[in-house]
Amino acid sequence: MIPAKDIAVMIPAYNEGPMIGEVVTHVRTCGYKNIIVVDDGSRDNTRKQALDAGARVISHPINRGAGAASQTGLHYARQQGFPYVIQLDADGQHHPEDMETLIAKMAEGRWDIVIGSRFIQMSEGIPQRRIAYNRVSNLLTNWFCRGSYSDSQSGFRMLNRRAIEKLNLGLDGFGYCSEMIVVGERIGLSIGEAAIKVSYTEYSMSKGQDLHMGITTAVNLIWKLIFHQTH
Amino acid sequence: MRLEIYQIVVPIISAIFIWGLASRFRRSRASMQEVVVGSLFWLAVAVFALFPDFFSRKIARLFGIKSNINAIIFFCLGLIFFFQYKLFFMIKKQQMALTNLTRKIALEQQPDKEVEA
Repeated sequence: MIPAKDIAVMIPAYNEGPMIGEVVTHVRTCGYKNIIVVDDGSRDNTRKQALDAGARVISHPINRGAGAASQTGLHYARQQGFPYVIQLDADGQHHPEDMETLIAKMAEGRWDIVIGSRFIQMSEGIPQRRIAYNRVSNLLTNWFCRGSYSDSQSGFRMLNRRAIEKLNLGLDGFGYCSEMIVVGERIGLSIGEAAIKVSYTEYSMSKGQDLHMGITTAVNLIWKLIFHQTH
Repeated sequence: MRLEIYQIVVPIISAIFIWGLASRFRRSRASMQEVVVGSLFWLAVAVFALFPDFFSRKIARLFGIKSNINAIIFFCLGLIFFFQYKLFFMIKKQQMALTNLTRKIALEQQPDKEVEA
């Protein structure tokens, strides 16, 4: 089994003051002490809440997007030499207990990235709008991939050292979720999935992407994948 | 074939721009995409200037252009599309630079801490 001290739990956060402290505390109670919150230029007290809860905080001076924050976290993990990174959302929708599921999958030794999928065993309470949005995103992502992924937009992921070293992503926004899969495949990383549960609350529903952001994300992803070198 | 002055000047200007793009690419200041799209645009301008009647007839037949005004509108739409592409590309590059700078500042401000066991 992979020891907790080898794992950095990375949480990108933007204006998550009301929830970030609770999420960090929950992760700590699961036995993980290396918690890195990447504060993406929040205007509220996200930084203070995360620090008070015991996380290390890396602060972007200005807001650059979820993808940029995630990539900053990976840079930090690379610098610090962490063998593994688990990334999860700051809005409380993910259950930190599910990290064990991702770790067990990673411990099989076959995967460089393990994606926590909400749709392998359909988690209850996922709004129909989110399901529809994810189906469209999966179609788009899988079109560029050899494999087929059931939850290309999941922010709950585990990466091993090889993935941390090799991945160099360029999308600042939510498109990074798909970009990580497509680029990962292209540079020879193996990607697996493990079933996770999610809890959508009014708070978490107020986060994430709306239609306008979804369209922008798709355009940016297509632009990146067609016109740019991806590693 | 008798050439008008503009039929000499325009291809020369196009060649200068294409040379400029190639030069920027050699110095790693332009991407392959920029060079290809830019070169195609200026090549089209040069060829159009060299054979204006032939291309005017072909384009007019293709798009159903019946007057000079239509031609001007189509030409302007083409220009707008080209500059839109250029602007989008420039903005993307600026955004990437801004993100890299933001990341650098964030990571430099982060004091190294011991990994907790």
